[in-house]
Amino acid sequence: MKNRLQTLMEKGSKPLLSIYYTAGFPTLDATIPLAEFLEQQGVDSLEIGFPFSDPLADGPLIQASSSQAIENGMTLSVLFEQLKNLRDRVTIPVVLMGYLNPVLQMGEIAFLEACAQVGVDGVLLPDLPLDYFEKNLKIHYERLGIAPIFLITPETAEARIREIDRLSEGFMYQVASNSITGSEASLTAQTAYFERIAAMQLRNPCLIGFGIHNRETFELATTYSRGAIVGSAFIKQLQAQEGDWEKLVPFLNQFRNKELIL
Amino acid sequence: MKIKICGLFDPANIAAVVTEQPDLVGFIFYPKSKRYVGTNFDPKGIANLPKSTQKVGVFVNEDRDHIISIQTQFAFDYIQLHGEETPEDCAFLKAKGMRIIKAFGVDDGFDFSQLSDYLPYCDYFLFDTATPNYGGSGQSFPWEILNDYPFDTPLILSGGLGVVEVKTFLNSPIPKVEILDCNSKLEKENHHKNLDLVAEVLALTRKTNSGIQPDAAGYYGEFGGAFVPEMLYPNVKELQDQYLFHLHDPEFQREFQDLLKSYVGRPTPLFFSKNLSAHFGGKIYLKREDLNHTGAHKINNAIGQVLLAKRLQKKRIIAETGAGQHGVATATACALLGMECTIYMGEIDIQRQQPNVERMRLMGAKIVPATSGSRTLKDATNEAIRAWINNPVDTYYVIGSAVGPHPYPDMVARFQSVISEEIQVQLKQETGQAAPDYLIACLGGGSNAIGAFYHFIGNPKTQLIAVEAGGLGVDSGKTAATIALGKKGIIHGSKTFLIQTDDGQIVEPHSISAGLDYPGIGPVHAHLSATGLAKVVSVTDEEAVAAALQLARLDGILPALESAHALAYLPKMQLQPDEIVVVNLSGRGDKDLATLIPFLAHEK
Ligand SMILES: Cc1ncc(COP(=O)(O)O)c(C=O)c1O
Repeated sequence: MKNRLQTLMEKGSKPLLSIYYTAGFPTLDATIPLAEFLEQQGVDSLEIGFPFSDPLADGPLIQASSSQAIENGMTLSVLFEQLKNLRDRVTIPVVLMGYLNPVLQMGEIAFLEACAQVGVDGVLLPDLPLDYFEKNLKIHYERLGIAPIFLITPETAEARIREIDRLSEGFMYQVASNSITGSEASLTAQTAYFERIAAMQLRNPCLIGFGIHNRETFELATTYSRGAIVGSAFIKQLQAQEGDWEKLVPFLNQFRNKELIL
Repeated sequence: MKIKICGLFDPANIAAVVTEQPDLVGFIFYPKSKRYVGTNFDPKGIANLPKSTQKVGVFVNEDRDHIISIQTQFAFDYIQLHGEETPEDCAFLKAKGMRIIKAFGVDDGFDFSQLSDYLPYCDYFLFDTATPNYGGSGQSFPWEILNDYPFDTPLILSGGLGVVEVKTFLNSPIPKVEILDCNSKLEKENHHKNLDLVAEVLALTRKTNSGIQPDAAGYYGEFGGAFVPEMLYPNVKELQDQYLFHLHDPEFQREFQDLLKSYVGRPTPLFFSKNLSAHFGGKIYLKREDLNHTGAHKINNAIGQVLLAKRLQKKRIIAETGAGQHGVATATACALLGMECTIYMGEIDIQRQQPNVERMRLMGAKIVPATSGSRTLKDATNEAIRAWINNPVDTYYVIGSAVGPHPYPDMVARFQSVISEEIQVQLKQETGQAAPDYLIACLGGGSNAIGAFYHFIGNPKTQLIAVEAGGLGVDSGKTAATIALGKKGIIHGSKTFLIQTDDGQIVEPHSISAGLDYPGIGPVHAHLSATGLAKVVSVTDEEAVAAALQLARLDGILPALESAHALAYLPKMQLQPDEIVVVNLSGRGDKDLATLIPFLAHEK
């Protein structure tokens, strides 16, 4: 059965814009209204992060948003409570993203079942090992129609990329450079890597993320991929706008709507 | 490394072979084999064999129902499928509750991708020399090709393995190979196994088996593994694939041992403390790791890992530190061996361990404060890991305790195991017996403890006691007693016990000693505790300080506050006069003066 994510990937060829934000940030109850707002702004899909105290792959911005969210009272049970009416209000695909430890405490299968129940389409757990996934969890993702999303990086060997492609559904999250989240470096040095992955003719499309922070990096990334994910740069804007989300519109539009910028 | 003796069929020979205690034995149910067990093979004979040897039934393209009927009679631990069985066959038998070993004939052009479909159903893959007769050729194949094996299912190596081949293999083992399968090369006549050859092969692997080792995926029981994001996977995999090769290389060992001796000052003394013995009863010995260069056991591991980093042609070293002892040790090893060095240290620890910060700087290391979270060891570790993600190619991360993703816990344990190796020899010289009645060590991440325990693990003579930092008390909310409080979870890449909320957020620990102020514990200690191989206890800040001051007064030795936790367990023991206790004195207390001096004022 195709879920929203797979349908989106197959629809047209316009570069997809996906936004990452941390659940429960900047305020505990922002999770759903923010999703609605982003859908209205023409964002194609969402990665919603559930916070962890020790996010190893994240830079200072996402770390700080996670700590703030935890302080605000965000937990997995609060999140699933908030997401109960997700599908009454939001139609675009949603991927939940976060580290394995909170999931283990909730129970991996209970977590996946809760995801399916509220209409989450994919799950990305960066520290979930592939073999562990295949042995223990794959059948549950399949049974529940949840797309397993995995990362690939510039250092991932070709054979392993193929292996990840075999196990992924929906899309693969292509990390733009050797970096934690939030780098603001130019990505021009990465074109050889982007070309190499594009040439592999993988089963799944790739969305490129980590360090996508402006029009230039977005366009470069989407020249070689199905779409791109904006995370830290969005969190930074969100923090700066202090609740007035209309002020986020120009920031979001630069990824979409050339006329507004030029 | 385990040994499987395969192709047994004669009852008398079987009985003789199992007395040598091989790890596994195999019985061939393939009528065309020279070692076919025949139609009158007796299930009762197999049932009576000792449980410590696992039994394997070997089949070649056998009818599924026949396998099921054999398995109902024999209850083998594993079913080995040695023909052209399909993934569906494996799935079918697996679903019947059997554990599956699937064998493949290997030649030069072997394509590992054909294994993918078997992955979910097989507990082991066995690689044998490709022959038309389903193995038994007595020929080896070039094992190096297994270095390209891309999966995590553990391997059994087969094909022409005798004493010589096993020796060769053990000199440069291949990652993921857990079992060596020996058959024809251990026979002299009638396809009966020769007991001398069996004993010789087993002795070879036993030599490498002392201590405790994780399985090929890095698990000690249910603890350990490598839960790392993809950004770290290539680095961690490189280490997993290479560390044993280098650690087993005689040239590496020579260099390492030379430095331990001439630079670190090993062996460290085993000091009989008359005064402590008089005070607490028993015969109390102190293993003087405090006398190592730089003042703690941490240097054993730092030298080992920096040597390894050089061999892996890394250019930069990064490390985390809590008390600063591991940071100082790493900065020292880097100065000696000419590597660039950056140390991550929590802001709070930088304040409470100021002298060590200056020592690291004096040796040319750069110090980066960790400003996130509780700003102590856990956060320093997070920052070091992030730095590694940002510099994956030329940077080597020297972890300072028996924590982190596989292979770190095992690697650190091996480098620190020099402590227990020396205790064995020294105690034997002193007392005539190599194993003490009690061995006590403090538990931070667990490196000094695993080093002191290593060769005594599983020895029924010795009670291993690991002392956690109770802080203000295990139930006070201000503690670092991880095992006492901890629930299972994942921290810094391994599955272990950790202090966390119900929602899986890691809780800031507390201990007066910066080196024990960590919310997790090395997975090997989670395992030793869960299996009862070690006893885990805790003492409070106050008890540790009292023990430190007491040792200074009684013996003129100022211990590190970490080590003082081990000493603080002595008053809680009831020692008989001739019971022998070894306390691992992991480090000296110079770095703790600022913490200790205020307590002098409280003394009457
Ligand atoms: C002297 C000393 N002992 C013990 C420890 C605790 O670490 P581990 O449990 O790895 O030995 C430290 C850590 O800094 C230390 O400096």
